[in-house]
Amino acid sequence: MPHEIAIYGVLVPGLLPVFLLCLLLMVLLDMLVGRLGLYRQVWHPSLFRLALFVCLFGVAGLLLIH
Amino acid sequence: MSVVPAIESVPASSRWPWLAEFLAGEWRAWIFVGKSLLAIYLAAWLAMWLQLEQPSTTMITVSIVMHPHSGMVLAKSFYRAIGTLAGSLFGLALMSLFPQQRELFLLSLSLWVALCAGGATLYRNFMSYGFVLAGYTAAIVTLPAINNPLGVFDSAVMRVSEVLLGILVAAVVSDLVWPERLRLLLRQSAQAQFNLFIDFVRDSTAGNMPREQMEHANLALARAAVRLEDMRASVIFEDPEVHARSTRMRLLNQRYMAAVTSFQSLHHLINRLQRGGSPSVADALIALYRPLGSALSPGLAQQHQSAVLAARLDGCVAQLPAQVAAMRASLTAPLALLEFDTGAALLQRFATELRDFAALEGSLREAQVRGSVEKVHFKRGNDVPGALVGVLRTFLTMAALSAFWLASGWPFGVSAMLLATIFSGLLAASPNPVSAAMHTFYGYASGMLAAFVVVYVLLPGSNDFASLIGASAGFMLIGPYLSTRDTLPGVGAGYTLGFVYILALKNPMVYDPAHFLNDGIAQVAGLALAGAAFILLPSVIGSSWQRTRQFRRLREQAVLAATAPLEGLAWRFESLVRDLFQQVVTYTRPGSDESRSMLAWALAVLESGRTMIELRQQLAADSRIAPAVRDTATAAMQAIARLYHAPDAARWRDADAAVHAAIATAAEQPLRLHLYQLRSALRDDESPFAAYIPPPSPESVHAA
Repeated sequence: MPHEIAIYGVLVPGLLPVFLLCLLLMVLLDMLVGRLGLYRQVWHPSLFRLALFVCLFGVAGLLLIH
Repeated sequence: MSVVPAIESVPASSRWPWLAEFLAGEWRAWIFVGKSLLAIYLAAWLAMWLQLEQPSTTMITVSIVMHPHSGMVLAKSFYRAIGTLAGSLFGLALMSLFPQQRELFLLSLSLWVALCAGGATLYRNFMSYGFVLAGYTAAIVTLPAINNPLGVFDSAVMRVSEVLLGILVAAVVSDLVWPERLRLLLRQSAQAQFNLFIDFVRDSTAGNMPREQMEHANLALARAAVRLEDMRASVIFEDPEVHARSTRMRLLNQRYMAAVTSFQSLHHLINRLQRGGSPSVADALIALYRPLGSALSPGLAQQHQSAVLAARLDGCVAQLPAQVAAMRASLTAPLALLEFDTGAALLQRFATELRDFAALEGSLREAQVRGSVEKVHFKRGNDVPGALVGVLRTFLTMAALSAFWLASGWPFGVSAMLLATIFSGLLAASPNPVSAAMHTFYGYASGMLAAFVVVYVLLPGSNDFASLIGASAGFMLIGPYLSTRDTLPGVGAGYTLGFVYILALKNPMVYDPAHFLNDGIAQVAGLALAGAAFILLPSVIGSSWQRTRQFRRLREQAVLAATAPLEGLAWRFESLVRDLFQQVVTYTRPGSDESRSMLAWALAVLESGRTMIELRQQLAADSRIAPAVRDTATAAMQAIARLYHAPDAARWRDADAAVHAAIATAAEQPLRLHLYQLRSALRDDESPFAAYIPPPSPESVHAA
């Protein structure tokens, strides 16, 4: 995967689209988990959400770069 | 923009209750101060570590976004990010259009900032922040690069990165470190609203409440509906569970408003029957109402458990038709039958709505969300002419500053323009902008003074980030602390902004007293001009001009109910009327004549409007209705619409006659009942129409 991609001649980091996709994924995941009420099972829901997002983004970024 | 945490009840200590209360308040304030400092320094450190040009932009962003409730921060951040992106894109487009024509450039920039400030007044929640930021970012991206158009792109990328970094840090810190959840407040308010309404319905044996008490109850219920919607819009950012229930909560609020309107119409009808010489019918209706009251009293422990109430109400609704038939048998006179049928239909409608409301409330409390519900929206009554005044004022301010800058060649005109941009937007949404501007001004000036001490006395010896914190934290924490005091709105925010802005932390730090003073003077001038513009062209929020217009718009809703397309009209009508009503009442003195007449009109509009919508739905659903009946019913509604548009005695007589004619033509039961209800609302001698009603003669009362 390229480290930088050009959008209309503007160079942006290659991780930006990955980040945005992960954000979208996270919103979908949030909706699902929120509907099922699973966040009531964890101690610190917002910490859990942040950690979940970091995992998602980290895995996606690493997978694409290697 | 005061940030005041709502004081909740504190368990009082036995000996010194005031001390416990004081300590709880202080504890909350200092947590907020700690979180703000953490976020500001973390943001500054990250900005320096990432080698961004101006760490101060990041710090300013954090200080604007921080709020004691994390849902508020997240909501603000979301709209702020959108505003930032829109503003920077517009700034870039503007720069590429007018790289050389400075006059045209500043003119269009002023217009953009003015439009954004207008947008900020139009919305009363955090969407207004998005607008303020869209204006501010366009200015902050383009203005510093005005002498170097080729560098504008780099400048834009830098500013956007700095702002987004600030937003991110503020959001993460306030969500993770001792989060103060708005969700809890939302849950409490929703529960309180439910309890209030259920108690209200149970305890009022219909018809017995004086008009005045009904008006006040209606005001409290309308306020609760608007407040709940406001909170819902912020909490969805904080809590995925609330987000998943968002559609349901909207529907719940709408069902609540529908039930309130039905209850109130029923109550007025019974009240009128008692006064108008048909007490036997009124008694029959009250007897019919009794099972509903007993369904709502399952014993103290379960009194507010929605699932229990919903099941009991369901049983009550199922038995109602039989009871209605039994009661009806005892009446003989045609007029009494018509009156009774109208009341009974209304009662059945109310019972069904109340059951649906309780059932939906019960489903919200479950851990899992099942199925999907109808999508409805809470329509806001935004005031467009008021926003246009804001646009004009901001445009004049910005244009005057630009002209002065161009004519004088002032080297620090940029700072003045930037400050004027920020505060025209922020102050425009404030209910009392002149005093808010004064407070902010004092805060800002003292913030700059503190920053002067920090930069030229404390900071020069420091050589790492820890000593930077040591040198500035003592003065920095004054700002967030002041902003938790609700007696000084705007001072804390002004202080923090002034302090952080003029501190202008850089890596490496630059010490230039002449630049510092010039910049400070320019910023104060910009802020003062933005405030002075509010004296020249006063804010319309809460003015009698705005109230009169909103009042007219409230009456206009009855016209819309009679004429607008039916699709989604019922929801739109209920929410818009309550929003307008709440806005107007906020600025009238309680108990004054104006306030009384407002309350009375709101009730009349709600009752007639809702009935007309029901009537029109009936007409649309049933194709067997004869054209003649349809025409007279429509004519009657149009006559009522004309009356609400411009009330006077002649139009009242027209409307009364038209409704009378329609009742005479309509043979179909439900149609007739709605029409009768309209007529009875028109003839209500405690409504605002009382002045137009001719003195009663025996045949006019019993002519139906």
